[in-house]
Amino acid sequence: MPAQLRRALSLREAGVYYALLLLVLALAGVCGALGRPSYLSAINLINILYQASPVALMGVAMTVVLITGNFDLSVASVAALAAAVQIGAVDAVGFWPALLLALAAAGAVGLLNGVMVQLVGINAFIVTLGTLTAIRGLVLIVTGGRSLMVQTPAALTAMTSFESGRAGPFPYPILYMAAFTSLVWGVLHFTTVGRRTYAVGGNAEAARLCGISVSAYRIGAFVLSGLAAGFAGVLYASRFGAMNPTALQGEELTVIAAAILGGTSLFGGAGSVLKTVAGALVLYTLTNGFNILNLGANYQGLIEGTVLIAAAAIYTLGGRQAISSRRPPAPLLLGGSPPANPVDPARSA
Amino acid sequence: MSDRLSPLLQLERLEKIYPNGTAALRGVDLAVRGGTVHGLLGANGAGKSTLIRILSGASGATAGQIFWRGEPVSWSRPAQARAAGIATLHQQVPLVGTLSVLENVFLTERGGWRRGRLLAARLRRLMESIGYETDIDAPLATLPIGERQMVGILQALATQATLIVMDEPTASLAAAERRIVHRTIRRLAGEGKAVLLVSHFLDEILALTDEVTVLRDGAAVLTSLTAVLDEPSLAAAIVGRPVRKARARAVADGAAERKIAEIIRLESPGRLAPCSFAVRAGEVLGIAGFLGSGRSELLHAIFGADRRARGEVRLNGKRVGRSPRAAVAAGIALVPEDRRNQALVPEFPVAQNLTLAHLGRFARCGLFVYAGAETAVAEKAIGQLGIKARGAAAPVTELSGGNAQKVSIARWLCGPTRLLLLDEPTAGIDVGAKAEILDLVRDVAAAGVGVVLVSSELGELTAAADRILIMREGAIVAERLAAETDEEELVLLASGAARNPPAAGAEVR
Repeated sequence: MPAQLRRALSLREAGVYYALLLLVLALAGVCGALGRPSYLSAINLINILYQASPVALMGVAMTVVLITGNFDLSVASVAALAAAVQIGAVDAVGFWPALLLALAAAGAVGLLNGVMVQLVGINAFIVTLGTLTAIRGLVLIVTGGRSLMVQTPAALTAMTSFESGRAGPFPYPILYMAAFTSLVWGVLHFTTVGRRTYAVGGNAEAARLCGISVSAYRIGAFVLSGLAAGFAGVLYASRFGAMNPTALQGEELTVIAAAILGGTSLFGGAGSVLKTVAGALVLYTLTNGFNILNLGANYQGLIEGTVLIAAAAIYTLGGRQAISSRRPPAPLLLGGSPPANPVDPARSA
Repeated sequence: MSDRLSPLLQLERLEKIYPNGTAALRGVDLAVRGGTVHGLLGANGAGKSTLIRILSGASGATAGQIFWRGEPVSWSRPAQARAAGIATLHQQVPLVGTLSVLENVFLTERGGWRRGRLLAARLRRLMESIGYETDIDAPLATLPIGERQMVGILQALATQATLIVMDEPTASLAAAERRIVHRTIRRLAGEGKAVLLVSHFLDEILALTDEVTVLRDGAAVLTSLTAVLDEPSLAAAIVGRPVRKARARAVADGAAERKIAEIIRLESPGRLAPCSFAVRAGEVLGIAGFLGSGRSELLHAIFGADRRARGEVRLNGKRVGRSPRAAVAAGIALVPEDRRNQALVPEFPVAQNLTLAHLGRFARCGLFVYAGAETAVAEKAIGQLGIKARGAAAPVTELSGGNAQKVSIARWLCGPTRLLLLDEPTAGIDVGAKAEILDLVRDVAAAGVGVVLVSSELGELTAAADRILIMREGAIVAERLAAETDEEELVLLASGAARNPPAAGAEVR
């Protein structure tokens, strides 16, 4: 269907893919013109994917939270907590039990977020702003404000092989991210669970009156977000075999930026995890480009912020256009008279 | 009053064609005289809302001319129309929930200082003159919807406009409030002001207006003095064909039929006094009562959507758990009052909205959604129920009120529904679609489902229901067989005017 295809290829629907493509081509062109090492080399592209993996992983779970109509600011602090638990426990209990402990701690914070938001009824922004601060404080208490390091060589080996091992050319984190993204994408698109997740965000009251447990879905999304953040924290800890208590500070904004670049609505009911991954890649392609071109990190924040707002502007204006070309802006479902209703009951009856 | 013959407002060949080529108005002529009430009627999509938007300055016409007091005018902003003396009372009143009644009424008032006491005195005088009482310091969001509508009316009156455009001012009002609105409209006309009244209630139009214009497909198909019109002729002009009355119901011998649901001492503190009754298979049980009488609360309590509700609901003798989830699983269905906010997911196309409640039936192993089955059931529903949509994948936001309502009813026909609860299913729907919805409700009952129908339109209840429970102040106060009662008796019972003992068997246990 050409109309459907046109819609799928529109700026509103596929903008983030265009942006990624454009960015990569532009950087490749600039690198070529300046005689720097080839930008499009497999090594560099895989490097971008590798660097983006933890943020993409958290972004995918963040997208699920956003789809259900909530918001999670606490992910970076939760990741740091998981990293601290992992490094603190690995010497004593071994790698896999430590991983489970780290994920349990992270999942517990997600559960706390969900319960406070859904059952107590506090706004998600406030709750997760609170946990963002409090969990970072907890990390400082646990570490005593000092860097933690893995002591036993065996534990260190286990951690590095979990993080730095490769399958063919791909470092494991890319595979973890790809597997998690595919799983969440599949669940969202092909299962009843995914459909209900979208329904909960699209119209919570309608979902409730259809017998869907809105609270369970929203709390579940928070737990998923906590677990993903915990996993990203374990990856971070495993990369260096060490962590300092301010690790990943501010990373939650990058995660949310990735979801917004991917066109996820902050009002719930819409969003795609694949586009969130593309959004994370856009952000890391920018970072990578700055490094390769030696532009210095000072410009980075300015450019990234501009890109974010530009993307949101395109989505908003594009969305408005798509709507106004279909119908004039008028109250539609509540009685009333949609002025240009394509099917007029009086005429066609 | 200047000249009663020269119109206050005159529209000549007014046209509105949207950029995508849709013609909402195709050359409408309309004249509203001072001191009169002019009725504006039309089915959903006939162009009424567009006309109102143009009059209020919210959007511009693409061709034609507006004359205001004989002068050609063209407004590009609502403030200009307001300044000229046209106040518009929109269907969804744009009020601020966090502000008080007083602040809302004078929301458009100019001037830097907020002279609270002066305005409060003005508002009190205004309320006194129309005979309406409310707490002017209460935040708007704490008021029930009917009172909010009244605040909107006060706001329109406070601007001291000479023409007041009212879009369905009584659609969400209880009878008492409705009478106040009617009295207010008459009073305005008596003062020499003009009222352009949009309404779906034909009796209201006939009782209140001096002249009537009927729009159909963006054109004025009938302009006439009200005195020479009656309900059938109006309805025919709106629909463009003789209206099919909702099918008369063969009165079933209720006693012999099986009880499908029993409601036993169901109550909700502060909202619902203990209610006990039974619904029989194949029966349409009507619930009459004014706004705030506990009708919706009763339905929500039965459905388990009211957490504070106590009591028991039995379906085919089995006790149903007290949650919407348990209710849906057991076969209870609720079609809520507010389609847009309570029933439909705007992001979902028609098919996905239809399957949402019983999604597991359209999935392999209860988990993997089978899109083919969804499309098939949606196409079947579109065909069988005459839902006017471009197809199963059409966005649900594109549908008109009546068709959207059919979707939210059809949702429950996709699963094993045994008890269907309908809350105002025909509110805000045009005449033709109303009859279709009521036919659909009866077809559902005829298939053996128990139906509970809440409606503000008593004529609809007497026509569609077998039995009618009358509610007042959160309690069931009487029961009547639909065949043995009429609208007048129902009004009396619901308003508490008739205190005669309920008919035998009012509390069927």
